[in-house]
Amino acid sequence: MSLNYMVPVSKFKRYLPKDYVELVDYGPFGKEFSEVGTKNMGKYKELVEEHPMCSGCWMAYYIKIIFASLPNPEHTVTIGTAGCGRLAISQAAVPFIYGNYGDQNAMASGITRAFRLRFPDQQKDVITIAGDGGMMDIGFSMTMHAWFRGEKFTTIMLDNEVYGNTGGQESGMSIKGAVLKMSPKGKNFNKMPAMQLAITAGCVYVVKMSPTNINKAAKAIRRAIFAARELGPTFIHAYTSCNIEYSIPTPDVFKDAQEMAKGRFAFEEFMTDEAKDLFTVVEAKKKKEVS
Amino acid sequence: MYYVAKVDSNKCSEYKCNMCTLYCPEANTLMYDEKNKTSWVDEDRCKGCAICVYVCSDLLDRNCIEMAMVTTEG
Repeated sequence: MSLNYMVPVSKFKRYLPKDYVELVDYGPFGKEFSEVGTKNMGKYKELVEEHPMCSGCWMAYYIKIIFASLPNPEHTVTIGTAGCGRLAISQAAVPFIYGNYGDQNAMASGITRAFRLRFPDQQKDVITIAGDGGMMDIGFSMTMHAWFRGEKFTTIMLDNEVYGNTGGQESGMSIKGAVLKMSPKGKNFNKMPAMQLAITAGCVYVVKMSPTNINKAAKAIRRAIFAARELGPTFIHAYTSCNIEYSIPTPDVFKDAQEMAKGRFAFEEFMTDEAKDLFTVVEAKKKKEVS
Repeated sequence: MYYVAKVDSNKCSEYKCNMCTLYCPEANTLMYDEKNKTSWVDEDRCKGCAICVYVCSDLLDRNCIEMAMVTTEG
């Protein structure tokens, strides 16, 4: 499929929404990662549009990085579910599908298989992006079974350690003792070991991180997508604080993420031997050869 | 009335660092002008979180961005 289908004829351009025209003229479609990508954010039209997420939300920041890191945005589909994250994910210039309450990984399994049958010559990337509730509580069985089956797509968990948009209930990913608006006595149970679960369930590439180093974050996302194309399920567990429920003043949100990067969310990367071999091959090539 | 970031473009163009644009949580809001080598803010999109001020003043000690109220009177 050619990218030309989205370029309007010159006389019709003035009647189109400004954001659409900007995306055609200055957007990242069909360009090299070195030309656009995370390093050049602020110099081109990014894929994410205006969205209703809170001021200073670190989840919105990580979503922005995800879309800036995509190796092939014109051939990508994102799937999300209920939660804060989908408010921004659904506002990007990449097709978004809404999985009903935790269904995102089950839906992604079907969509990935369908894409492989329908477009055998064109690699389509499927990415599920959901919060800790959607991925590890409500959607837990769908997530785990997609990994057990070895479905080839990328799973990204935006972990804010709380149910942010329903008023601050504890989630499986909240830490033990966390006092929240809807758990005033503090949580009684331990945080779920998501990374270990992913490795046990058969993910070929797993990363746990707090996104403070932009290059590291982009590299992890791209590696997860490349490994999912060839080998099997991949998983990224990212810390994206909720400054409202954890009462972090907005100017200190980045500082909090830096502290987490030194503490509980210190960078951890797991990969199988096959994934390691794949990355050495893929990272030596340029985008056009890869996609 | 909105609380938004304002970039001092004269000061900013001395450093040409482009660091604040990499850490703004809002897409297409804190932009970088390659011609004049300065960051600039799309005030209609800025939500006033001041993360850019933390990056510019606290981390880099360059003090090129400050928060200001904008009103309809301009």
